[in-house]
Amino acid sequence: MQKETYLDEFKSAEKKAFTLRDAAWIAFVILSTLYAWTQYGHMDGYEIAILIGTAISLIWLGRFWPSMQTVTVVSGLMTALALWTYHNHGNAITANETAFFLRFLVSSQSAIMWMNTLFVLATVTYFIALYNKSDFTYKTAAFMVWAASTFGLVGMFVRWRESYLINTDYGHIPVSSLYEVFILFVVMTALMYLYYEQRYKTRALGGFVMLVISAAVGFILWYTFDKEAHVIQPLVPALQSYWMKIHVPANFVGYGAFSIAAMIGIAYLITEKSLKKNPESSFAARMPSLELMDDVMYKTISLGFAFFTIATVLGAMWAAEAWGGYWSWDPKETWALIVWLNYAAWLHIRMSKGWRGAAMSWWAFIGLLITTFAFLGVNMFLSGLHSYGEL
Amino acid sequence: MTEINTQAHQENSKHTNQNQPSQKPKQTKKPNQFWNFLGSMNLAVTLLMMLSIASVIGTVLKQNQAPQDYIVQFGPFWADVFNSLGLFHVYGALWFVLVLIFLLISTSVCVTRNTPSFLKDMKQFSEKLSRTALQHQPNNTSFETTIDLEKQQNHATALLQHKGYKTRVHQRDDGSVTVAGLKGRWNRLGYLFTHISIIIICLGALLDSNLLLKYRELTGNLQAETRAVSLDEIGEKSWLDADNLSFRGSINVPEGGKTDILFLPYEDGFLVQQLPFSIENTNFRVEYYDTGMPKSFESDLVLTAPELEEPIKATIAVNYPLYYKNYAIYQSSFGDGGTKLNLKVHALKSPRINPLNLDSNINSVEPLKTPDGKFNIEFNDFKMHNIVPASDELMAQTGKKMHNNGPTIIFKVRNEQGKAWEYENYIAPSMQEGRLFYMTGVRTLNSEPFRYMFIPADENRKTERFFNFLTLLNNPNESVQIFSAQYPKNEQISDENYQLQQNLLKQLLVLFRARGYEGIKDFISTNVPAEEQEVVTKYYFEQVSFALQVIYLETLKREEVIPDHDSDISEFNKVWFDDALRAISSLSRYGPPMYFEVENFTQIQSTGLQITKSPGKDTVYFGSAMLIIGVFFLFYVRQRRVWIHIKPNSEPNAESDSVSNAEVTIAAKDNKNLPETTKEFDELVDKLKQFNNKNA
Repeated sequence: MQKETYLDEFKSAEKKAFTLRDAAWIAFVILSTLYAWTQYGHMDGYEIAILIGTAISLIWLGRFWPSMQTVTVVSGLMTALALWTYHNHGNAITANETAFFLRFLVSSQSAIMWMNTLFVLATVTYFIALYNKSDFTYKTAAFMVWAASTFGLVGMFVRWRESYLINTDYGHIPVSSLYEVFILFVVMTALMYLYYEQRYKTRALGGFVMLVISAAVGFILWYTFDKEAHVIQPLVPALQSYWMKIHVPANFVGYGAFSIAAMIGIAYLITEKSLKKNPESSFAARMPSLELMDDVMYKTISLGFAFFTIATVLGAMWAAEAWGGYWSWDPKETWALIVWLNYAAWLHIRMSKGWRGAAMSWWAFIGLLITTFAFLGVNMFLSGLHSYGEL
Repeated sequence: MTEINTQAHQENSKHTNQNQPSQKPKQTKKPNQFWNFLGSMNLAVTLLMMLSIASVIGTVLKQNQAPQDYIVQFGPFWADVFNSLGLFHVYGALWFVLVLIFLLISTSVCVTRNTPSFLKDMKQFSEKLSRTALQHQPNNTSFETTIDLEKQQNHATALLQHKGYKTRVHQRDDGSVTVAGLKGRWNRLGYLFTHISIIIICLGALLDSNLLLKYRELTGNLQAETRAVSLDEIGEKSWLDADNLSFRGSINVPEGGKTDILFLPYEDGFLVQQLPFSIENTNFRVEYYDTGMPKSFESDLVLTAPELEEPIKATIAVNYPLYYKNYAIYQSSFGDGGTKLNLKVHALKSPRINPLNLDSNINSVEPLKTPDGKFNIEFNDFKMHNIVPASDELMAQTGKKMHNNGPTIIFKVRNEQGKAWEYENYIAPSMQEGRLFYMTGVRTLNSEPFRYMFIPADENRKTERFFNFLTLLNNPNESVQIFSAQYPKNEQISDENYQLQQNLLKQLLVLFRARGYEGIKDFISTNVPAEEQEVVTKYYFEQVSFALQVIYLETLKREEVIPDHDSDISEFNKVWFDDALRAISSLSRYGPPMYFEVENFTQIQSTGLQITKSPGKDTVYFGSAMLIIGVFFLFYVRQRRVWIHIKPNSEPNAESDSVSNAEVTIAAKDNKNLPETTKEFDELVDKLKQFNNKNA
C-alpha cells in the first residue's frame, strides 16, 4: 500500500470526537466572559485584552485538564449564589452577617474559612490514608482538596465583588495584599498538586504537599485573627494597574510549583532513607518509585521556572511603567533574581550534568527556603519599594 | 556548557566514525585554553555566585544612604572598609559591573562555540547510521518480519509522519533501508534563544547603566556634588548635558514652577542632568480614601521643547507616565512646594503681649533675633492631612476608624552654635479627652519621637487666653500688684510679714514659671532643712496654687468672662486652668522660648517626577521575550529521533516454515531521556508489531 493510504488509515482510526461536553464548556466560558464584559465595565484596553486572554486560556485548560471544567463550573455557580444573595439584600456588604448563605457558606470570609478547614483536614486524612493504605481514605482526602480549592476560588471571586460593594473606589482583584496572595498561593498549589496526582496516578504524596499548604493556612489564620488582615483595603496608586492581574498570578504559579517540588523532595529523601535501611520497607512500598518522584520534581520545577521567568519579566515591565525603571535592584527584585538563578542552576545541573536523586531533592527543599525569603522575608525584614505586604 | 559541547562532539564523531571507518574522527582545532576557560561552566557558575552574594549584600545593607548614617551604624572603621569595597553602592560598583561584563563574555563565547553544532543537530536526521549504531541507542529492539520491504517502508514512514515526525529515507548499497524520523527540532532553538537572550538583556542593561559616567569619573571629568547648595553654585564637573545617553533621576516641581534639569543620585552625592526640554507643573492634585491613604495623585504638565510647534499638555498619574521621544516622565511622589505661611511668633518669656508677625514659606530660612540669642528658623515641610487611628469615643460618634488631625508645619529652630530643635505644630486645635488643644511637638534627635505640649484652647478656640495668662506669669511685679489689689494688707498682718508674703509669692511664681512644680520641689530640697521639708512643701504648694489662681482669675476678668474675682467660674474654665498649668510646667523642656502659631497658609504642592532615558529598554524587552520563548521551547518541546531500519534477508530461511523477509530494527532517542520516552517507544514498537502480525 502506498504511504498516503496508510496515513489516511491512521487519521480515521484515531479521530477524536468533538463532544457535547467540549461545546458546552466553550459556551460556558464565552458566556461568562461576555457577562463580565458587559456587567463590569470600566475596563481599559489592556484589561479587556487580559479578559479575552483569560477566556482563551481557560478554554484550553479545561480541554487539557477536564477536572478544571468541574471546578470552574462549581465555583462559578457558588459565586453566582453569593452575588445573587448580596443583590437581594440591596448589595449591602453587611448582608454577609445576616443572610444565611453568605454567613455560613459563600461570603468571602466564610468560603475562606471552609477552605482553611478542609485543607487541614485533608492533610490529616492523607497521612491516615498513607498509614492504613486505604484507597477510600485517599479518595476522601483528594476530594477535600478539590472542595477546599473550590471554596478558595469562590472566596477570591466573592471578595473581588465585595471590595466593590464596600465602596466602588475600593474595588480590586484580590491579589493586592499579603493576605490575599496567601489565599491565591494555597489554591494554586493545591490545584497544581491535584493535576500531578491525577497525571501520575499516585496519591501518596498528598500529605507531604498538604504540609506546606497547612503551614500557609496557619499563617492565614494568625494573620486574620491577630492582625485583622482580612479587612479589604483600597489600592495605593502604585497598584492601580492592569499589570497586577498578570504579574502576581504568574508569580504564584511559580511559588506553588516550587513548593510542591520541595515537598516531593522531602518525600523522596524519607523514602530513600527508608529503602536504604530496609529494601523491603513497607513505607517505601506505599510511596511511588524514586524515579517517579524525581520526575515530578523536575516537571514542577520546570513549570515553576517558566512561569517565574514570565512573572519577573512582567514585574520589570510594570516597574518601568510605574517607577521609571525596569530594574532598580530593589530587595524584592534582587531576591527574585536570586530565586531565578537558583532554579536555573538546579535545572542546568540536572539537564547538563544529569544529576538525580538525593542531592537534587535537598536542593529543591533549600530552594523553597530561598523562595520563602524572597516571598515573605523581604517584606518582613528588608525595606524597599515592594513593601505592600508588610505585617 | 562544556558538557553539552563534548556530547555534541562525541555524537558527531560517532556518526562519522560508523559511516566511514577509514576516516579519522573529526577533531576540533586544538582548543585555545583561554577561550575554553572563558566559556566554561565553572567560570559562569563562579561569576553567578559572586553576583548572587553581592546582590544579597545589597539587599541587607541599605544602599545609597548618606555617609554619616553608615558611620553611625557601623562605626568609622567598618564603614570605611565597607565603603572601599563598594558595598554601599554595590549595584553600581565597578567590580560588580565587571562581573556582569565577564558573564556576558562567557555566555557569548559559549554560545559561539555551540551554535554551529546545535544548528547542525537541528537539521540532520542521522539517517545514515548503521544498524550496529542503532542497536547502541538507549531504546532499541529488533524483530523478524515477512512483509516485503516496500510495504514496510511505506507503513513505517506513514506511522512516523502520523506521529508528527519529519522523515527521511536512506537506501543503502546492501539493500537495507532506514526511515529516520525527527521531531521537536525547536528544542535546540530553546537552548540558543535562552542563552542569546541573556546576552541581549545584558547588553541592554549595560546601555542603561552608569558605565559611561564611571568612565568619565575615572578620567577626572566628572565629580558628584555632595553639598546642599543652590544650582548656580554647583561646579561644571557635576553637570551632564542633554546628550547623555541614558539616565534616571528625579526632580520636585512646585505648582506653577518649571524645570529643565534633573538630579541623578550618584555615588555619595548627585549630578545635575540638563534636559532638552522644560516641564511646567500647572496643577497637582491628591485624592484620599476615607482611610486617609492616598487614592490617586496626578499632575498637569506642560512640556515645551524647541522642536515642538505647540507645547505638549498632558496629565500624568502613577502608572501612567508621559512618553516624549525616548524620554519618559513618571509621577513618582509629591511634597510641599513652598506653602506660604502667615505666622505669629509668641515670645514665651515676654512680659508683654507682642507677638511677632512673620510671613514666610516652606523651604525658607528666617533669621530671628531674640533676647535669648540669634536663631535661624528653617521651615521644612507642610502636611495638609495627618491621619491617625480614631479613639474609641470618636469612632462611636462618627463611625470612622481614622481621624484627621489637620495640617501641620514642620520646622527647625537652630541656635548660633548649630544646635537644632525640630518642631511639629498643628495648625488647628484637636480634640483630646473632650477638650481642644493646640498640639506642638518637639525633639532634638531624628531618631526620637516627638514629645508634645498641649496648649489648651480657650472658649473661642484660640490661644489668646493662654498667652494672656502666660504673659502675666512672666511679669512677677505685675502679678504681685494683682495680689495687693485683691488682697490688700489688713490690720491682722504686720507690714513686714505682708512684704515677706508678697516676696514669697513672687519667688514661687518665678520658680514655677521657670521649672514648674519640680522647680519648687528642687528649691525646697536644696534650701530647706530635711525635717521641715514636708511642712514647707505643703505650704509652698498651697501658696503657689493660690497665686496662680489669682493670676488666672485676673486673666478671666480682663477677658471679661467674669466681672470680678469672686464670681463662680464654669467647669470648662476650671479644667482649662489645670491644662494650662500642665503646659506651662513643661515649658522648660520646650527648647528656645518661642511658639510659632500659623494664622493663615496657602498650600503650594510640588510634584515629584522621575524622568528616565533608557535606550536599552527595548533591547531588554526583546531579550526577555526571547528568553520566555526559549524557556518554553526548552522544556515543552522534546527533540526525538526514531529510526526504523529494514534489513532484507539475503536468502530465505530454508529451515523454518514461515518465510522471513526482513529484520526490522527500531531505535529511538530523546535528548532529554524522560520516562515518557520509553513509554512512547514501547507504544511505537507495539503498533509496528501489530501491523506486522496482522499482515503476515
